[in-house]
Amino acid sequence: MVDYKPQYYPGGSNIAANRRKYIDPNYQLRKLRTISDDDLVRLMGHRVPGEAYKSVHPPLEELGEPACPIRELVEPTPGAKAGDRIRYIQFTDSVYFAPLTPYMRAWMGHMRYRGVDIGVLSGRVPLEARERDLEKVAKELVETEIFDPARVGIRGATVHGHALRLDENGLMFDALRRFQFDKNKGEVVYVKDQVGVPLDRPIYVGKPIPEDELRRITSQFRVDGEPFRNDVELIQFVQRIHMLRTEAGFDPNKVKDI
Amino acid sequence: MAKYPDKVNLYDDRGKLFDTNVPIEALSPLKNTAIQKIISYVKQCVAVNLEGVEKALATGEVGGKWCIIRGRSLKLDLVKNAGSVADSLKKCLQVDPDDDTEVKVLKGGKHLLVKVPAKRLNAGVEYTTGTTAVAAALCCTIIENFNVNIWDADLVHAAVWGRYPQTMEMLGGNVSSLLAVPQQNEGMGYALRNIPCAHIALIAKKNAMNAAALSSILEQTAMFEMGDAIGNFERFHLLGLAYQGLNADNIVYDLVKENAKTGTLGDVVLSTVKRALSDGVIKPLKKTPSGYTLYTTSDLNKWNAYAAAGLLAGTMITCGAARSMQHAPSVFIYFNDLLERETGLPGVDFGRVAGTGVEMSFFSHSIYGGGNPAVFHGNHIVTRHSKGFTIPCVAAAVALDAGTTIYTPEKISGVVGEVLSEVPELRESLRYVNEAAVSIKGGI
Repeated sequence: MVDYKPQYYPGGSNIAANRRKYIDPNYQLRKLRTISDDDLVRLMGHRVPGEAYKSVHPPLEELGEPACPIRELVEPTPGAKAGDRIRYIQFTDSVYFAPLTPYMRAWMGHMRYRGVDIGVLSGRVPLEARERDLEKVAKELVETEIFDPARVGIRGATVHGHALRLDENGLMFDALRRFQFDKNKGEVVYVKDQVGVPLDRPIYVGKPIPEDELRRITSQFRVDGEPFRNDVELIQFVQRIHMLRTEAGFDPNKVKDI
Repeated sequence: MAKYPDKVNLYDDRGKLFDTNVPIEALSPLKNTAIQKIISYVKQCVAVNLEGVEKALATGEVGGKWCIIRGRSLKLDLVKNAGSVADSLKKCLQVDPDDDTEVKVLKGGKHLLVKVPAKRLNAGVEYTTGTTAVAAALCCTIIENFNVNIWDADLVHAAVWGRYPQTMEMLGGNVSSLLAVPQQNEGMGYALRNIPCAHIALIAKKNAMNAAALSSILEQTAMFEMGDAIGNFERFHLLGLAYQGLNADNIVYDLVKENAKTGTLGDVVLSTVKRALSDGVIKPLKKTPSGYTLYTTSDLNKWNAYAAAGLLAGTMITCGAARSMQHAPSVFIYFNDLLERETGLPGVDFGRVAGTGVEMSFFSHSIYGGGNPAVFHGNHIVTRHSKGFTIPCVAAAVALDAGTTIYTPEKISGVVGEVLSEVPELRESLRYVNEAAVSIKGGI
C-alpha cells in the first residue's frame, strides 16, 4: 500500500487552511442554527410541506433498468430510486467576507455530497439534485457555519447583490427583499421564498455572524483582509498548473519530473 | 517491432480479465481490425424508416414537420410488404450477387437496417454514398414494386429524401445514417465526432461501459483523421483510448466499484490519485512549507490516461447515483479542479476537459438555450475542444439516465440508434475490439 493522505488544497495562508477545512469531508461543519424541515421546504418553494414528492419517472424498481454493469454496481440515491424530480437550492455569497466563495461551494459540495450537480457563476451557485436528496444537503448548507444570514442569500432568481455594498444593518443587497433584519430580535428573517414569493409566515435564520468571526472563518482572499498575493505558496501552485498545462499542450513527452 | 513500450491488460465491461500484456498499438485504429470494421459499419449502415415513408406518402407531409402538400397522397402498404421491399432493395444495392450487402427487416417491417456494399463506398471519396445509395435505391424499389406512375414518383422522392436538395441535409427524410452531411462538420476530420450521444447510448442499449467504449473509439479515431494523434501526440491518444474508453487494466471498473455504494465525486478523485501512486505513475516531488506535497510524473501521457479513466468513473458515480445525465458537465469541471488541487498536476487533456465543462454547463442547463447532454457530440460548438476525452463521459451519462429529461435520447435519436443497435460490433464494441487486439498482438 502506498503512503497517501488526501490533502484537498494547497497554500500557506489562513484562507487556504479554511478552504482545506471546508473541502475535507471529515471536518464536520459547525452547526449554528436549526431550521425545521418544513421551513426549509417552504424557503425553497418546490413543494408544500407535507406534500408528497412529485416524480419525473416511475420508481427504478417499477421502471426496470437496462442491463448495464455500472447500474448494477452504482447504488442510486434515495431520490433517484423513487424517481424524484430534480430541484435546486441557489446561493448568493457576498464578496464581503462571506464564508464561501462560489467555487468553494462546488469543491466542497462535490467532495461531501453524492449525486449533486453544482454550477458556479459569479453571483450565484445553484446546487441541483433529486428532491429528497436536495433537502438533506440543503439542511447542512443552511444550518452550519458556511451560511451567514446577512452575507449569504438563498436566491433562486434576481440574485443581484453579491458585489454591492452592505446595507446599514450589514445585510447584502436584495432587489426582491426576501430577507430583512429584525432589530428587536437581532436576527435575519426571510419573508419570501427563494424566488420571491411571499411566505405565509416569516422564517428566522439567526443572527449575523460578527465581522471579526467572519474574517476568521472566510475562504475569501481580499486586499482588505488576507490578500491572495501574500500566499506565495498558492500563487506558485496556480502558476505551476498554468505552466504544466501549457508545456504539455506543446509536447507532453518533454514534461518530466518537474 | 512495437513503436511504444506500453502493454496493458484487457478486461470486459464487467471487470473480468480478457487477456494480459497486450501492446497499446493493438488497440490503435490504424491496426485494430475491429475498430476498422466499426468505422466501416458507421459508413455502410443506414437506417430506413419504412413506416415513416408510408405515413409521409399517405398524408402528403413530406420534407419536414407541417410541410403538407394538400391533395397529394399515395396509399402504399410498405410496412406490410417490408419483406419484398427489402429483397428488391438488396438486389438494387448489390454490386455482385454474393457481396456484403445486407437488408434486415426490423420491428415487423417498420424499420430496415441496410448495409451498403463496401465496393460502393470504395468507388467514391465521400462517406455519403451510404445514405444516397440507399435513398435512391429505395425510391427505385418503391416505384417498381408498387407500380407508381410518373406523376406520383416525385412524392416518393420527397417522402424518402425529404426536402433535399432545397435543404443541405435530408430534412424530414426517412433514410438516415449516424454521420451528418459533410457540410455540417465543423472542420477537417470531424465526421466521426458529429454523432450525438443519444445515438451512442441507444446503440449500446444503455450499457454505460459500451457506450463510453464506442464513443471513445469514434472520438479517438477521429483524432487520427483530424491530425491530432500523430507524432508527439499519438501515444497520448492511444493511452487515452485504452484506459478511458476500453477499461485497460480495469481502472475504470475498479474505481467505480470502490465508490459504488457511498462514494462522492471527490472520493473518485482520491481513489484515482491513490491508484496512480500505487502504480508508480506519479510520485512526490517536494513538500511545500504548509506541508502540502506536490506530485510529479515522468510520464505525463500515462498520468493523463489515468486521470481520464478517473473522469469517466467519476461521471459514472455521480450520474449513476442520481441516475441523471445533467450532472456530467459539473463533473468535468470539478473532477479536474479537485484533481489538480490534490496533486499539483494538470487535469484531463491538460485543462481542455475542464474548459469544455464550463461551456457545456451553460448550454445544458437552459441558461443560454442549448439542450440536454444527449444532443451533444464532439463536433458541437461547445464540446469540441477536448481531444476525445469529454464525449465518452457524456455518452456514459446519457446511458445512465433513468428518464429525467423532457427530450429523451429515444426522441432525439429517432430510429437511427435503435436500428443500429442491431449491429453487434457497434452495440458491444468493447468485446470486439478486445478480441481483435488479442488476435493481432503477436504481430505488433
